[in-house]
Amino acid sequence: MKCLLLANESAEVLFYWTDTEFEQRVQEQYGLPAFEDSINTLFAPIIISCSTMVDRLGDNYTSFSTENNHIYVLHQFEECLYIAVNGDGDETEEDLKRKIFVMKKLTEIMFGMVTFSGALLRKELRPQDTEQRNRLWKKLRSLLETYSRLRENDQSFLVEAVERLIHPTLCEQCIEFLERRLVQQINSNMDRMGEEVLHAFILVHTKLLAFYSSRNASNLYSSDLLALIILVQDLYPSKINLDETSEELESSSVPEVFYTPEPSPPERESGDKNMAEDSLQTLEAPTPDPSAPSRVFLESKECPMPHSMYCLPLWPGITLVLLTKIPNSHVATSVCYFLEAFVKLEKRLCEGHEGAAAMRGQPSVQEQRSRLEKLIKTWAGMDIQTSQLQNAWTDFKNKAFSRSGSGFTRDLLPSCRNMKTQLCGVYRQFFAAECMGSSQRLAPHLQERALSMVQEKLMDWKDFLLVKSKRNITMEFPGLIHFIYVDRSNGQMIAPSLNVTDRTVSELGKGPLADFIKKKVWSLVATAQRYLQKGYATVTLRDGDYFYCYFLWFENETGYKLEVIDIPSSPDDGAPVGMLTCDYYRKLLRYYSKKHQNEVVKCYELFTVHLGVIPNEYILQHCSQLARKLWEPTRIPLL
Amino acid sequence: MAETAALAYSRRFFFLYDSSKVQEEEDRTREGIYYFSPEDTPVDQQELLCGQLAGVCRCVSEMSSSPVRLLRLRKSKYAVRMKDSFLWALSCVVDIPDVSVCDLLDQLIALFCFYNGPVRQSYQLYSKEDLALRWARYLCHLQGGSTELHNIFSCVRTIDSTHIDPLLLLKAALILQACQRCPLVLAGCILYRGRVVSTQMTPALTMKVMVYETQTYSQDFRVTANGLSSSVGSPSSFTATTQVFLTPTELYMLRCHPVDRACRSHCSQPPCQPSKSRFLSRTLSDTPTTDTDSSSLDCPPVSYQTMPSSPRSSLSDEPYFSPIPSRVNTPLHSNLMNQSEYFTPDSHDHGTLNGTNLCAVKESLAGLNIKQDTDASSGSETKSEGLNSDQDTQSDEIKALANGYEQSNCLDNHSDHDNQIQNEENKLDANNHVANKNGKFQGETEEEARTKSKQVEGRLKEKYEPRNTPSPHETLADTSLVPSVLYQHRVRGLVLALLVEPEFNTDPTAREEVHHSSMASLNGLEAHLRNTSPGTPGPPGPYTFAHYDCIQNTLTTNVCGRSAGPQEAFVRATKLLHSHFSHLDTLQEAIVRLGSAVYGTRSMAQETYFLQQGTPVRNSGSPDPQDSAFSLPRKARQRLLKHGVNLL
Repeated sequence: MKCLLLANESAEVLFYWTDTEFEQRVQEQYGLPAFEDSINTLFAPIIISCSTMVDRLGDNYTSFSTENNHIYVLHQFEECLYIAVNGDGDETEEDLKRKIFVMKKLTEIMFGMVTFSGALLRKELRPQDTEQRNRLWKKLRSLLETYSRLRENDQSFLVEAVERLIHPTLCEQCIEFLERRLVQQINSNMDRMGEEVLHAFILVHTKLLAFYSSRNASNLYSSDLLALIILVQDLYPSKINLDETSEELESSSVPEVFYTPEPSPPERESGDKNMAEDSLQTLEAPTPDPSAPSRVFLESKECPMPHSMYCLPLWPGITLVLLTKIPNSHVATSVCYFLEAFVKLEKRLCEGHEGAAAMRGQPSVQEQRSRLEKLIKTWAGMDIQTSQLQNAWTDFKNKAFSRSGSGFTRDLLPSCRNMKTQLCGVYRQFFAAECMGSSQRLAPHLQERALSMVQEKLMDWKDFLLVKSKRNITMEFPGLIHFIYVDRSNGQMIAPSLNVTDRTVSELGKGPLADFIKKKVWSLVATAQRYLQKGYATVTLRDGDYFYCYFLWFENETGYKLEVIDIPSSPDDGAPVGMLTCDYYRKLLRYYSKKHQNEVVKCYELFTVHLGVIPNEYILQHCSQLARKLWEPTRIPLL
Repeated sequence: MAETAALAYSRRFFFLYDSSKVQEEEDRTREGIYYFSPEDTPVDQQELLCGQLAGVCRCVSEMSSSPVRLLRLRKSKYAVRMKDSFLWALSCVVDIPDVSVCDLLDQLIALFCFYNGPVRQSYQLYSKEDLALRWARYLCHLQGGSTELHNIFSCVRTIDSTHIDPLLLLKAALILQACQRCPLVLAGCILYRGRVVSTQMTPALTMKVMVYETQTYSQDFRVTANGLSSSVGSPSSFTATTQVFLTPTELYMLRCHPVDRACRSHCSQPPCQPSKSRFLSRTLSDTPTTDTDSSSLDCPPVSYQTMPSSPRSSLSDEPYFSPIPSRVNTPLHSNLMNQSEYFTPDSHDHGTLNGTNLCAVKESLAGLNIKQDTDASSGSETKSEGLNSDQDTQSDEIKALANGYEQSNCLDNHSDHDNQIQNEENKLDANNHVANKNGKFQGETEEEARTKSKQVEGRLKEKYEPRNTPSPHETLADTSLVPSVLYQHRVRGLVLALLVEPEFNTDPTAREEVHHSSMASLNGLEAHLRNTSPGTPGPPGPYTFAHYDCIQNTLTTNVCGRSAGPQEAFVRATKLLHSHFSHLDTLQEAIVRLGSAVYGTRSMAQETYFLQQGTPVRNSGSPDPQDSAFSLPRKARQRLLKHGVNLL
């Protein structure tokens, strides 16, 4: 019984997802003809109470739990309230919180800076056109379900770090191939329509075989890479059970599901009732347009930068992904610059600073003013609607700078907010997927060429890779049942596979024992993260017949282990520990680096499960040897 | 506005809200607020909190078809209980374990019901103001733990048994057993200066009985209880009875307590409780010893100080709430419920008596034997020791205890004789219903109490021929509480508290007998305890520990007062680990490190936490067999032995 809901402050539902069980329950209880109305009626009192609590007490609900173990988790991001519900015991409060943060991350990936404005996000998430809304919600639901599936089954989404296929030679060859042959060829071709490949990588299921970034590309953060893997898995889902042999893989080579962000001919929907069904089955794109890219907004130092993502399925389970820079993407940086200036101004005004004090910490007002004037003029000449922005700007200037205006006082707040909205609007016009001409893409023949080049390169490796992806690493310590080793500095992990239903036997064998171990591993990671959130970096647990260890430590580049520090405890309502959302480890590394400014600091984690009968000293010896052994493979450069 | 509100908001709240009082548009929220703490909270803020929380809880509970149990906010959290139209909510800071705050709320409600009966009925009988005083008292009692740890484990406060002669504990136990010879006496406990010396009741019940005591003690012997009657001896010694309400579970547990009827003295049997039927309703596990009824005039068997029952009120508070035991599956409670499994018949093997190591008792029994000889030679009547040989099934320890019982009885009889004159005086006082000297107490004579109880009856009748029919649930819950009587006999700082059958009040012989049989021994015990120096606590040692006995709800710790430095780190880790243990039944031990490492271990019967002080050796936190954190289990085992904590 699960549900996830986004609502704005006026208790309007911006998006919801429910499973069938939840939907049935709601229908039984409220039985309104339109399911969305029932959902609305159901949650409205909670949503309204939330805003009252914020307004009057400066506090807000974060969760409810009932005697029959239903859990409700709430989180407010700006003007948007997220509510996640679980009534079947599958998810904990932490899981629900994480789901909310992942949902937030997915909207950021899809809409970029548009999420900064509540009004625009509402427009984006709740398009007037029902068809369009259904399509978008279907997409979001599908993404959410894909995430949940990965989170439940894939260790790299459990610890939120990318898993690499460990084959140094092949990896190196592939990187070289991507750089010298593929990217170079595309970027020098005339049919690339002004786009430029910045990153290229090859995925085997969710595991990374090779990753190449061009020299002028900015860093691709692990959180984004993980989110992109969700997108890829949503387009070309690996079978959950992973129990097909390579022959089976070959025979089922046609992708079952497509998504296209382009407007499509109307499709008949049997109302909202099907919404809760597994969208992986119901999602059949009306007009498959495989050569259309997805618009993704990736983190950069300045702002969420728009990119086009091309997913080219080499074989089932193996995908080539290209990330390109799109024309005009520099506009994003300038929009973002001014957006930030207005956000700062709004904050200062809200805090009661007026006049010059309101602009403290920002470059001179006049300079900013003339820069913005110029920009607006340039944008006006660029085939987008800027009249609203111009009006807002005139209004702002009148109030802020003219003698009859209020100057920099609280009265400026509405104009300030309007400017923010209008700037987001410009950003949206430039970059939102549906606003870009459908013709904006790498020419299809270029994509096909890329695909066949890589296919040719990997033809002989294909079967090996698919098997390797299931048996990436083996263990040789007696009594050691499982481990996960994570390098948080580069966001990568190594672990023996845990394919509980796999026909080919994994390290753990199969059947109920493997399933039991899997549950234990999942709960170990959750526990460790809970303790880490409170600042505990070493945890050992004796639970039933097993002994669990968790270690987090720092090293310098040469592998010298640095002294432990007291890690600050994060508030309970903060982001969950992980990389996919609000990258906890990036902040942790930054915190630690302040103390070690002269050296590069790396952060590692090790989770182990041992048989409880093994004496503690042996277990600790194992762990220490394991950490030493695993350190080597992570040294192989990916770039 | 929001900021000032937020400032006041950081306080700890408790409220009882009745949403049935606020149903029409024009109804003001304040009509529904029965009690709100802190009481000086501005009414509009009270209304805001009650209104919002009650509204949102009702919405959620409708959606999930189950009452809300816990509500979290960014800066605080609330344990919640919903029953009919009532909603109780108790807030605390976010880092208190869920299980602790939920327990605290349940205890609070249970306390109220213990002294006042069903909530709805109480508010029909008494004014909001009167009951507000009581809520405040209970709240104060429950939150008044000496350290934060005491509140986390919500444990019963006991006297520091490491500094007093174990014989005194034994003596206290024997006094209680002696009282039980009167069949109207269900069970009792002895408290000294607000701490438990010995108890026959479950920890949950002991807690309830203690409120009254702690209050009286802290008020310097002035009694302001809602007692039904009182009679006074000397200024430093008096008895009082109070009406209380037991849940059926509690009553069942009390009545199936193994007390040898035959050994009970001339007191009349409770008319409605033929002893046979009691045994019929027993389960096998409730009969830990041989059927003592058949063993004719044998000496009384040992009554165990740790009684088989549910700790932490998880079972016993059931009647206030759900008639359906739906909470069994709640993770918050699954652990608590499981604890009832601990109460196997051999629970006495845990070997502690209010934290005293049984070994200590055994050792001192040698000394007792000498005493006995002296007593015997002085001519007081002694029961044959040979009688004990019938108890073949008993373990050696129990035999030893039983011996002690015999001997102490003699002591009691002996000293009783000495104090006969004083007793006679007391009896006289009691029979004449002389009111307390204390002016405050005068209003509550037995006469008045009788009229009051008639009023109760009258209003109850009103209730059952109702103007607005109560829901079947409500009636069920209300009727399920059984009125009973709490008898208290105070000798300065010492209090004997007995739960007795209601007939006790109208049976002067019974009262007399109980009073008579315990008076002298209580005086003696009080004198001994008074003269026992509290004992200077030894040097704290280079470690911090806390040992929680889940069976008896007691805590042994060297954390004192406001925790700072390493102690603060210890308390923080303990909170997390306790919470973890309460969620995961299979978890046996854990080591967690933030700066310094804390080791936690638990078994069915106990939870122990240990921190080794001193500057932690430089380490990287990477897996290292030499890491000192991993030697904590060994160190804890060694260090804690001398505190009577056996981790082997």
